Amino acid sequence: MEKTKNPIAKVAIHLFLIVFTIYSVLPFYWTTMQSFKTFKDANSRTPKFIFTPTWENYQELWLNRVPENGYTILFFILMAVVILICLALFAEFLPWPNWVTYLTVAFGFVAILWGIPEVVETAEFYDYFVNTIIVTVGTVVVSITIGCLAGYSLARYSGYAAVVILIAALGFRALPRLTFILPYYQIGNALNLLDTRFLVILTLVAVNQPFTIWMLRSFFMDIPKDLEESAMVDGANRLTAFRKVIIPIMWPGIISTALFSLLLAYNEFLLVRILTQTNWTLPVAISRYTGGEDPRHLTLAAAAAVSATIPIVIVILFFQKNLVKGLAAGAVKG
Amino acid sequence: MKRSTFFRFSAPSIFLMTVLMVIPLIMAIWLGMQFITFNNINDPEFVGLKNYVDVLSDGRFWQAARFTTIYTAIVVPLRMVLGLAVALMLDQVSKAVRGVYLSFFLLPFIIVPVVGTLMFKQLFDSSGLVTWVYQTIFDTRLRYNETTVKTLIMLHGVWYVTPFALVTYFAGLQTLPSDLLEAASIDGANWWQKVRGIVLPHLRSLTIFILLVSIMDSYRIFDSIFVLTNNLNPIFKADTLMTYNFATAIQFQRLGKGNAMAVLTVIGIMIVLIPNLIQSYREQMEER
Repeated sequence: MEKTKNPIAKVAIHLFLIVFTIYSVLPFYWTTMQSFKTFKDANSRTPKFIFTPTWENYQELWLNRVPENGYTILFFILMAVVILICLALFAEFLPWPNWVTYLTVAFGFVAILWGIPEVVETAEFYDYFVNTIIVTVGTVVVSITIGCLAGYSLARYSGYAAVVILIAALGFRALPRLTFILPYYQIGNALNLLDTRFLVILTLVAVNQPFTIWMLRSFFMDIPKDLEESAMVDGANRLTAFRKVIIPIMWPGIISTALFSLLLAYNEFLLVRILTQTNWTLPVAISRYTGGEDPRHLTLAAAAAVSATIPIVIVILFFQKNLVKGLAAGAVKG
Repeated sequence: MKRSTFFRFSAPSIFLMTVLMVIPLIMAIWLGMQFITFNNINDPEFVGLKNYVDVLSDGRFWQAARFTTIYTAIVVPLRMVLGLAVALMLDQVSKAVRGVYLSFFLLPFIIVPVVGTLMFKQLFDSSGLVTWVYQTIFDTRLRYNETTVKTLIMLHGVWYVTPFALVTYFAGLQTLPSDLLEAASIDGANWWQKVRGIVLPHLRSLTIFILLVSIMDSYRIFDSIFVLTNNLNPIFKADTLMTYNFATAIQFQRLGKGNAMAVLTVIGIMIVLIPNLIQSYREQMEER
């Protein structure tokens, strides 16, 4: 819609938006402040806006014992992370193929995650963090792989079976999760798979699959059929045409869908809470800090909350456009 | 695409959804007819419809159903009105500023729900910022009782899902028919007249979509209430269908009754779901 020219209206609009910004960010701001306070400052009845920030809460959360040369170790880890990110960003300009760079970067990150407990004594929270990464990455990779195949075929096949599958998926997506999770518990118990990452990843993929195929299908529908058809005239079979012609131009759609899968897996609480006893992911680990009466939990919970949020914020900062596009695509077409 | 190719491509996905969604649903109905706790999990006892009768005559179940309904009825309209209002405002500012605002607005949506709840709780804690402001203004202590806890739950409910309505509406606003708007401007229509005459009708189908998704999501609200009230639900009467279902199955260890309750909640959501499914079915049949 055309923009207003009335200066008073303009100011009012910005004022309104700023108030809404504060409303959106306030809980995050306050918790971050709390996480840098000492236990005494955090519990004071009149909030302290000026205080000496401390790393204590984060240290207690992540480490069992604080190493003497902590800052040196931290510096090296950060350097390694920055180098890996730069490598990934400049992959285009390197002489070897892109996938070699991405694979190296992925291995680099795995090495860092593996190496840290060898150098410093990490606490349980670190294990939950690594576990969350494994579960999230596993879920995204499996969901997107099988979801792409299904989403593509659903976009191209116009038979009755496709409609039935789509509608059934839509129905399953709306059902309360416990209807599936309690039987999963029974299945996991019978097959002796409870508390394994395998079961968590598999069930997360299943409960997210309806959403994934709907979204990917809507992106595949935007790609003209002629593309793969001309490739198939040239002698490629459908799978080759799909891999070589369709997937390369589908990347933006795949990234959007992958982001939603990532959020769903990273955020899942109920399923992980029921199917695991020790192999927790972050949401379950953090929920432990909310119940107890121990007031020391206040600052630790704050530090845990901030720690769990930062990775997601970084990912979203990189891919915000894809997230917004995904929301719009799901809304306009779904 | 040929039928055989279609099935070859979608086989892994269909297989997974059948094994891990259709079969569990049937299992849930069956398990709901058994007496199972964690002690006799491998050797359940068939009790027929006893569990279902148990649930339907359970006062706490109906209380949970009532609070879930109230929660949905209050939170969903608030979310949508607020989302639309902010989307309309955001549409009025320049593109460069929009991105900045949007990054902040998305924050409640991308944060892990459990963490978002925890952050909310920190604001309302005995040493929290909101508590302090409240106590300075009204000069009484902010006490946790049924009303305050329920208000807190609903405030959080609005906070963390508004971004979804906001971004969806905002995307809808970008596809407005510009010729109609220009014609309205030439006829001298003011902003509000244009919103009522052109924008709202244009957003109609989008509104129905957001409404349905929001109703289904609030119907299965779990994380935030579980974290906020934990085991104190009997005091605050803030159980929802999902939290009570969880308590029955996991905390009271009545797995059979829990399954029965889960099946009954599925029947509950069908009221909203079936018209929606019929509508989508018609659309898909036309589209193909």
